[in-house]
Amino acid sequence: MSDLFVALTPPNLLACFIGTVLGTVVGVLPGLGPAAAMALVLPLTIKLGPTAGLIMLAGIYYGAMYGGSTTSILVNVPGEAASVVTTIDGYRLARRGRAGAALAVAAIASFVAGTFSVVALQLAAPLVARAALAFGPAEYFAFALLGVVLLANLTGGSRAKSLAMVVLGIMLSTVGMDPLGGTVRFTFDLAGAQAGLSFVAVTAGLFGVAEVLATMADPASTTPVARVRFRELYPNREELRRSVPPMLRGTVLGFLVGLIPGPAATIASFVSYGVEKKISRHRDELGTGAIEGVAGPEAANNAAAGGGMIPLLSLGLPFTPSTAVLLSGMLLMNVTPGPFLLRDHPQVFWGVIGSFYVGNVMLLVLNLPLVGVFARVATIPPRFLMPGVLVLCVVAAYADNNNLFDVWVVVGAGIIGWAMRALGFNPAPLVLGLVLGPVLERSFLQALTIARGEVSGLWASGPAAVMLAAAAVAFVAPAVLALARRSAAHPV
Amino acid sequence: MGRDRWSAAGLALLAIGYLLAGRRYPLDTLTTPGPGIAPLVAGLALLGVAIWIFIVAGPARPAHAAGGLPEIRVAPTCPTESAPQRPASRTALLMCGALVLYVAVLPGLGFLGSSVALVVVSSRLMGLEGWWRPAVLALGVTGVASLLFARWLGVPLP
Repeated sequence: MSDLFVALTPPNLLACFIGTVLGTVVGVLPGLGPAAAMALVLPLTIKLGPTAGLIMLAGIYYGAMYGGSTTSILVNVPGEAASVVTTIDGYRLARRGRAGAALAVAAIASFVAGTFSVVALQLAAPLVARAALAFGPAEYFAFALLGVVLLANLTGGSRAKSLAMVVLGIMLSTVGMDPLGGTVRFTFDLAGAQAGLSFVAVTAGLFGVAEVLATMADPASTTPVARVRFRELYPNREELRRSVPPMLRGTVLGFLVGLIPGPAATIASFVSYGVEKKISRHRDELGTGAIEGVAGPEAANNAAAGGGMIPLLSLGLPFTPSTAVLLSGMLLMNVTPGPFLLRDHPQVFWGVIGSFYVGNVMLLVLNLPLVGVFARVATIPPRFLMPGVLVLCVVAAYADNNNLFDVWVVVGAGIIGWAMRALGFNPAPLVLGLVLGPVLERSFLQALTIARGEVSGLWASGPAAVMLAAAAVAFVAPAVLALARRSAAHPV
Repeated sequence: MGRDRWSAAGLALLAIGYLLAGRRYPLDTLTTPGPGIAPLVAGLALLGVAIWIFIVAGPARPAHAAGGLPEIRVAPTCPTESAPQRPASRTALLMCGALVLYVAVLPGLGFLGSSVALVVVSSRLMGLEGWWRPAVLALGVTGVASLLFARWLGVPLP
């Protein structure tokens, strides 16, 4: 536990500060999400060493959660998916001249939820890590499969398309050496592909380069940001009083949702909004510019971001693109997340958790007075910003392995990512498929080997059976419900 | 045939190609599974999903209609960029070509030369007029990237 104070050393404080500032700026910029930003600075963080590097990456992740609310409230354009629901009431508050109050409540809610989730993470992660030691290949396979199925259900839009993207990601993960035998697959004699497709190159391409191409293809998608006057920055007593209950509800709810595999922060914000719609004293005002519609979802998405760190740190399983980049960063720094992280790298584990405390304070200090400054970042015209993003993407992709093949990958992934968006395919499930693919393959093959080729070995243990059953229900239930709705609407 | 069906057909072709390419890797037995098992399962899964999209899913519905998360679209409040001289999708296609050309000339021209050219081309395609401003932007972006990554952090550049 004394390793918590590692976060207070000057280099780590500086890394935390840079990460939170960068994250806030990224969150403010519509389109350039935290995953892309983390991938872009990955080469830089590797140079800092594991503790400072991971503290900076985590700072970007948390900062983006904070900053994402800014453009949602000011211009109705969410910086990232978890802030989508904040637009509903936040933007209407801004139109009524309460932009500052909404931004301040969002910052306070994020701080409260972030701090709560850090305390809960500190208590829960070691317990989960101990329990995870009982996890064998069959349980890992079942948990990863459950995450994949839930993800396909919850990313929004067509379920089939999300599933197609997850499978495509898994297919891409088979390029290079297979995780057990070392057989080189699907490289087509390209030496640069033997190490597999670089996760950083694919992510930077799918999110960064594709964003540049999408902006070029649809220049009208960029929206100007309104400036916030200083005197509008603070909420009045009534607004603060009304914010407290949804903030607390959103915090607890968000943390619990964060433990479930899937895009937890986004789901948590929607669930919180739904709960407020049902039980808030001012539920009739929700949708017309109620402060509860900002406080609840903003608390929920930040608490879920903390909760989402538990499967990552304790099991080594990421379920969002951002935590997938964090995992990639850990692996590049020779830190393997999972049940043994606490034993093998206590300074990294507690240092990162300690930095969450510090980061939350920094973010509150940054967000309250500097919200107007951050909002101006979003006013940088894309014609100045996007060329820089392209160069950063190339640097990030090349620096990962010093491999020119990865620069081809970043460009190819960018063009394919743009085409995917145009065809209505969300690239986020592909990234998760790419990360979870080796986990799924390794655990599936190991489970089969342990069970001496008996497929029933995959569900022989209780936890694995429960998770596989849950995955089956999650896969079948939406189709059954849709059929039931259809037959209810058109009775024979 | 609708856009989704074309996408499904493309995915099915990709799955078939992947399955054919994966035939060279042995499946071995379930007791000692070989490197061909995962590609076989993944390829068949993509083929299945492609058929699902083609037959059942049909045209994409709004997310909220499918029971997913609602989609929020916002019309811009005022124009932000000067009107493009050419159709926007053509601009993006030109940018794709420029990117491919960039990687092709990167080993010959080096990071500085090719990146300056890339920034000039991309900023002009995005509507930055004249040559001076794109050139200054290109030198600034490339110079800062070189200083920050190569000089100060020791990160290798292509």
